Amino acid sequence: MLSKLSDRINPMDVMMFLIGGSIAAVILIGSALTLIHGKYSSAQWFDLLISGLALGGVYALIALGYTLVYGILRLINFAHSEVFMSGPFTAYFLANYLGQSGFLDANPVVGLALIFILAMLVSMTVAVIVERIAYRPLRHSPRLVPLITAIGASFFLQYFFRGLYGPNIKVYPEIKVLDAYIHLGIFRIQYTQLLVIVAAGLMMLGLHLFVQRSRVGKAMRAVSEDKDTAALMGINVDNVIVITFMLGGALAGAAGVLYLLMFPQVYFLMGFIPGIKAFTAAVLGGIGNIPGAMLGGMFLGIIEAVGPSLFLDGLGIPAPYQLKDAIAFTLLVFVLIFRPSGILGEKLAEKKA
Amino acid sequence: MAMLEVSDIHSYYGHIHALKGISLTVDKGEIVTLIGANGAGKTTTLKTISGIMHPRQGTIVLEGERVDTLPAHEIVKRGIGQSPEGRKIFGGLTVLENLEMGAYSRDNKVEIQRDLDFVFSLFPRLAERRKQLGGTLSGGEQQMLAMGRAMMTHPRVLMLDEPSMGLAPVLVESIFEIIQKLNQEGTTILLIEQNAAKALQVANRGYVIETGQIVLQDNAANLRQNERVRKAYLGEE
Amino acid sequence: MKGKILLLLALVAAVALIAACAAPTAAPAPTTAPAQATTAPAPAAFKCTDKLGCIDIAPGAPVHIAYMFVTSGDNASLGTDTRYGGELAVDDAGGKVLGHPIQFDGQDSGCTAEGGQNAATKVAADKTVVAVIGTNCSSESVPAAPIITNAGLTMISPSATSPALTDPAKHQAGFLRTAHNDKVQGAVAAQFVYTQLKFTKAATIHDGSPYAQGLVTAFADNFKQLGGTIVDQEAINVGDKDMKPVLTRIAATSPQFLYYPIFVAEGGAIANQVRDVPGMEKVVMMGADGIFTEDFVKAGGKNTIGMFWSSPDFSSFGSGYQALVAAYKKKYNTQTLLGPFHAHSYDAMNMILAAIKKVAVQDPDGTLHIGKQALRDALYATDMQGITGHIKCDQYGDCADPHIAVYQLTSDQFSKNLMPETPIWKPGGPNYTYNPNP
Ligand SMILES: Nc1ncnc2c1ncn2[C@@H]1O[C@H](COP(=O)(O)OP(=O)(O)OP(=O)(O)O)[C@@H](O)[C@H]1O
Ligand SMILES: [Mg+2]
Repeated sequence: MLSKLSDRINPMDVMMFLIGGSIAAVILIGSALTLIHGKYSSAQWFDLLISGLALGGVYALIALGYTLVYGILRLINFAHSEVFMSGPFTAYFLANYLGQSGFLDANPVVGLALIFILAMLVSMTVAVIVERIAYRPLRHSPRLVPLITAIGASFFLQYFFRGLYGPNIKVYPEIKVLDAYIHLGIFRIQYTQLLVIVAAGLMMLGLHLFVQRSRVGKAMRAVSEDKDTAALMGINVDNVIVITFMLGGALAGAAGVLYLLMFPQVYFLMGFIPGIKAFTAAVLGGIGNIPGAMLGGMFLGIIEAVGPSLFLDGLGIPAPYQLKDAIAFTLLVFVLIFRPSGILGEKLAEKKA
Repeated sequence: MAMLEVSDIHSYYGHIHALKGISLTVDKGEIVTLIGANGAGKTTTLKTISGIMHPRQGTIVLEGERVDTLPAHEIVKRGIGQSPEGRKIFGGLTVLENLEMGAYSRDNKVEIQRDLDFVFSLFPRLAERRKQLGGTLSGGEQQMLAMGRAMMTHPRVLMLDEPSMGLAPVLVESIFEIIQKLNQEGTTILLIEQNAAKALQVANRGYVIETGQIVLQDNAANLRQNERVRKAYLGEE
Repeated sequence: MKGKILLLLALVAAVALIAACAAPTAAPAPTTAPAQATTAPAPAAFKCTDKLGCIDIAPGAPVHIAYMFVTSGDNASLGTDTRYGGELAVDDAGGKVLGHPIQFDGQDSGCTAEGGQNAATKVAADKTVVAVIGTNCSSESVPAAPIITNAGLTMISPSATSPALTDPAKHQAGFLRTAHNDKVQGAVAAQFVYTQLKFTKAATIHDGSPYAQGLVTAFADNFKQLGGTIVDQEAINVGDKDMKPVLTRIAATSPQFLYYPIFVAEGGAIANQVRDVPGMEKVVMMGADGIFTEDFVKAGGKNTIGMFWSSPDFSSFGSGYQALVAAYKKKYNTQTLLGPFHAHSYDAMNMILAAIKKVAVQDPDGTLHIGKQALRDALYATDMQGITGHIKCDQYGDCADPHIAVYQLTSDQFSKNLMPETPIWKPGGPNYTYNPNP
């Protein structure tokens, strides 16, 4: 019996389990100590949570772009962070004009709608152009090749927009009506954050319905499973791929505007960090999986906002906020130990490929 | 007049010369079968006809129109449907969604509904399981779904790549019955089968393909009598 | 020139060696050497004896001074400001030194360590470069200084202020600065907060950069020494945007005052979000010279009204400063100065030009020879009245005459997109009475 047991135990698994276990222990002990210590009020925890939800919503929208494209092409579209930057960067000029002329304060809804539409259109166009120029010609090359063009496209776009709009930081105008709060007892939410959370939620719901219910959405799922067979059904695979890039681009453009409503600085490198975070979120949720991207984004946003205070404060670690990315990546490792293809990721080898 | 006319096509996988001048015709209302050993090029022939691959040489004409340069989704629209080798069900889509995909390039809702009802009448199992994910169906059910899905393209020529593969004998029987039924309803059929005996029972004519070339062609009855066919494909002495 | 002389020397040496080895058949050897010698140019050629080597500049060829500035991204205004300062000094020199045109161009160093390393590697590889102005950020100077030093070049930073850069244990011979040392700046900030604002509870945020860490440490040390308490010391990462969590942490310690001497993007985000965090509505804020730019104010929005900065004291600058500012605004068509270090860059350029004049050897045809060690020595020996004050370098490269003052943004300046140009307080100056809404 004993020898059989030892045969079954793989030292690698044991190590992984120990790592996972210690991460879990640190998180639990840290959280418990923090809560016992009682340094933060429930209103403060609520603030952190809302902050995390809003940021997570943006991550989720960007992550959807990575996951949609990955689902269809098995390609990590590294230029997606620049797709995210391009629309809102372009829309800055409109936003600035509307802000200066007073239109934005007089008609915030119309003004915002215009900004969103422009940003989404530009991001969408950039995404489609990238697909056309950088990926489609390489559709049948080894997978590493489009990955390299993706990185190239990313740099190209950064410096293209730098050349187009200048190297300096620009700042989105403030929208006065959004700078107020809704009070719910001792809790409060800023309108900006509420808008971000609601808009991100609605867009995700919309995308979900589109993919699940619409004809094109079903075709997207079919193409992501098997392009040749989808073509045998009369599905124009190239069109579906373009539509996928359009969707991802539009979501990224909208995510960019939402992001800028909270953090109004825009410049040509602004996509890099949110892009990396969203990519992480997509992997966390299970890349290629749409609900996974949403979940991963939300999870990452909340961990970034709440994690440092909750996990590390109680352990007496100074300046824990600096470690928020370390926490996020530790949790990524934690999740991947127990679920190697992400929280909702399927085992790709079984079903696809 | 020939419904589908394939003339001297050559297809390649990279440097591998898989089809070395295949010519065949399928007339309206016929069942034509293509038999051959593993790796002979049967599937490649179907892929080339349906536009998943393009021939480097040769022509494919469907009712007077050249289709060999068209993309696959355009060829489907023109009336060639295919149930691919290995079923290729969309595992993440429900049975109903799989069937809807078959009708992707069609607009007429009434006709689509009629075809759907027809498929469900042929395969009542699919009707029961319309909300179930394709990936969770049994092998036989998947084969039914693959055929049903191909029928939903409303083909004038239906190409079936090993529809009886891996099925229990009872099911094999009913699949062949359905093939005949479809044919009686007016669908022209190009059938690939490992089970050459069965195929030659239902087919009007047949072609024998070896290493990318047609080596024999005749009506089904003659092929059944042919020495070479009997030895190599019917397993008779 | 140098190449030919070296070739000749090498030939002579080689021939001599062969001759020594093969003594009996040495006869033809001596004849080859003189034959080569007669083909070399006749005039008493310059012979480089500088231990770091020499830079030779052909007649009419430019004297190349390279910069390593952050010219793109969120801190671009810092780099652009210093580039302007250097260019204005070139203009004032008539665009020429010793009859050679001055070429002033360079590399974007990005305000990151990698950026500094890249820029320095590129500059070091360019054999035409005589001297370097840069970098802007201390994080860039840390990797750049050894690269520039090893290449035998000398760099003068107009704005990298971290104490670590001129720390005797870490100082690189090729690094000098006209910028102040943040030991001074941090002390002035602490003194202002404690003695003028009369606050005793302060919180600080740094971004992990040597600059911000140096300043926060200097501030905290001095503030505690004066009797204040640092209630919280936080750190963020470069690239962070959502500051509410860290501000919420700080709010839990109820500070009166928040010091964040960081950079534009993250500093702007803090300013932008600080008032949204309960408990931080009234906290008084102060930054340092790294965010004393209009880009920061734009990024921070209206919350920057009434905030303080420590920065070089413009009012202590020399008489030439007003003319410099006027030239700056005119040439670059701007209402306001982009950053606080243009004058330091102007002075750095003048230091370099003066040192070149001092050490360059000029052939009759106009060819210049500049010994690299000689140039470096001359720079260390600088003793001149610059715009920023009296410039005299110590052995660790600190050349500034550090006058730090405190500035405050008024709502009027904010609405006109202007930056304060007159300090509200300086050490030893008249007392300041706190006005939260100037
Ligand atoms: N994707 C591919 N890449 C390279 N070669 C291929 C590919 N697919 C098929 N082949 C080769 O082409 C030839 C014909 O294959 P094909 O699939 O058409 O055979 P088949 O007659 O359908 O065989 P089976 O009865 O086993 O299905 C074979 O030699 C096969 O190895
Ligand atoms: Mg086959």
